[in-house]
Amino acid sequence: MEKSSKNNKRTILIVDDTAFNRALLGDILSLDYNILEACDGQEAADILKERWMDIDLVLLDVVMPKIDGVTLLGMMNKNQWLQSTPVIMISADDSPENIDRAYDLGATDYITRPFDEKTVRYRVRNTIQLYAKQQVLEDMVTQQIMEKERSNFQMVEILSNVVEFRNGESGLHVRHVRVFTDVLLQTVRRRCPEYGLTSAKISVIANASALHDVGKISIDEKILNKPGRLTPEEFEIMKTHTVIGARMLEETPGQTDSTDGFLQIAHDICRWHHERYDGRGYPDGLKGEEIPIAAQVVALADVYDALTAVRVYKDPYPPEQALKMILNGECGAFNPVLLECLVECADRLNRELELGDVEPMDSAEIRRVTNQLLERGELSASRRTLSLLDQANARFEFYADVTGDLIFQYDRDSRRLMLSRAAAQRLGLKRLVVQPDADPAGRSLGESYLDIRGLLEKTTADGPDAEGEYTLQLPQGPCRFRLQLRTLWDGESPGWTRVVGKLTEITQ
Amino acid sequence: MTLRECYAALGGDYDAVMGRLRSEERVRRFLGLFGADESFALLTAAMGEADWASAFRHAHSLKGVSLNLALTALAQTSSDLTECLRPGAPAQDPVPLYEAVKAAYQTTVDAIAALDPA
Repeated sequence: MEKSSKNNKRTILIVDDTAFNRALLGDILSLDYNILEACDGQEAADILKERWMDIDLVLLDVVMPKIDGVTLLGMMNKNQWLQSTPVIMISADDSPENIDRAYDLGATDYITRPFDEKTVRYRVRNTIQLYAKQQVLEDMVTQQIMEKERSNFQMVEILSNVVEFRNGESGLHVRHVRVFTDVLLQTVRRRCPEYGLTSAKISVIANASALHDVGKISIDEKILNKPGRLTPEEFEIMKTHTVIGARMLEETPGQTDSTDGFLQIAHDICRWHHERYDGRGYPDGLKGEEIPIAAQVVALADVYDALTAVRVYKDPYPPEQALKMILNGECGAFNPVLLECLVECADRLNRELELGDVEPMDSAEIRRVTNQLLERGELSASRRTLSLLDQANARFEFYADVTGDLIFQYDRDSRRLMLSRAAAQRLGLKRLVVQPDADPAGRSLGESYLDIRGLLEKTTADGPDAEGEYTLQLPQGPCRFRLQLRTLWDGESPGWTRVVGKLTEITQ
Repeated sequence: MTLRECYAALGGDYDAVMGRLRSEERVRRFLGLFGADESFALLTAAMGEADWASAFRHAHSLKGVSLNLALTALAQTSSDLTECLRPGAPAQDPVPLYEAVKAAYQTTVDAIAALDPA
């Protein structure tokens, strides 16, 4: 949050109903600062509402008509303006109770009249410097924590993918289980306060869910990828992936983990995601609420994805049928309350997948991490930055939902292609295609794919727009389109990071 | 008269104001602005209408201004009036206190008018 103005001076808002006082303070400070004046609390509130981002300090008189200084201070506190704009109260009223009240409401300093020219200068300068430094630090900490969360999650994801690829699966399973776990837990949280779920805890469980099959890394590949049924002996070996995964996490060196921490939760999930609510699961035969809620939810998410996903040996079941099979008890025994939650959020589960809510660190995640920070400390400087980021993503989703245009967005790092509803329908693709060049449906783009790459390579940060005409192989036959695209450059990474574009059908 | 003599005449503290505001030029400039300050006129009007809430605010403003300029006599009398008018203060007739402010204000304005140009 940069505060600057045309002449690089900091800006001070002087709020005083006496013109003489404003003139005197202005006289002392105008050499070093831009001065704004307000003649009462109401006018100050109007100015702050519009420009609080640009104001570095407020000098505030106490006794004023309309809205007095103490009331204005309360408003600034409530609107979070105080977090980035400090207030120094100035008053001839030096009664201890008024001074106390001002500090209680969040004033940084209190200057009594008559004031000394130098005192005013120094206190103003120090307060502004202190706040500026604090803001830089807050932004740095937020940035670093976001980086850390991001790389933590990526490590977990890499590890889980290693397991899955060995298992002959696509890597999507881990992502799906994570999304399902998250959605299910949100519902459980609403319906069952007794589990004590918080948004922070849900976030940890969803991340830890990625490790549920990590123990399979030690299962012989011949058993892991055996076509056809396992023998009873082989099945016994297969079952050990739960205990092995749990032990791997127990033996993670240097762990100083609390009971609610990531390792503990990942351990519970690994060990108990094949337990059954009726006590007939493995490895420990835990029953009912003996199974931690994290493991119960991941078990359900695991089964739901196994049913609805394509596997080498089976077609996907439609979501409605998968739901019916689970409710009929064909796929294990679950907590009845959890099943109710599943029914309640079934639509959301499918929608989340369609929307591709699987970014390494999606906007909800960032919001959650930041909220945790806010609950713990005072890091709100980046609130606005984050909300802008959120809005940018939400905007594309919105346009993509409502537009009849064939538009898309492709992210280079995550290799995800997001399509508008109309584009997905016309091209016969899902709304989210991961790695379009590897996806069988994505290959329908035909040889045009290479040409489009060529088009992309022609763009530069200064000339990001390009267009061309292509024939795409659609299910109903070849079709000619005009493609307009723009590459987005973040100025840091080499090359573009994102592409947005639009297809227009060319009618002969 | 000089600035120092002017302060003596109006019952103010020359050394204090110079210590705080640093330059005669600035003190003279703000003594000039003092004449334009409406606090006293507004106080007089509010007293006439027995509008005690407004009278409190304006007495308080006058006190602040005179404190900043170290106009000690005026600051003291307007402070007494302010405390008398402060919401929740024990009931006391404010009129005699106002008369004291009025006298101090007149003395102050007269002394400022008699100040030699710098």
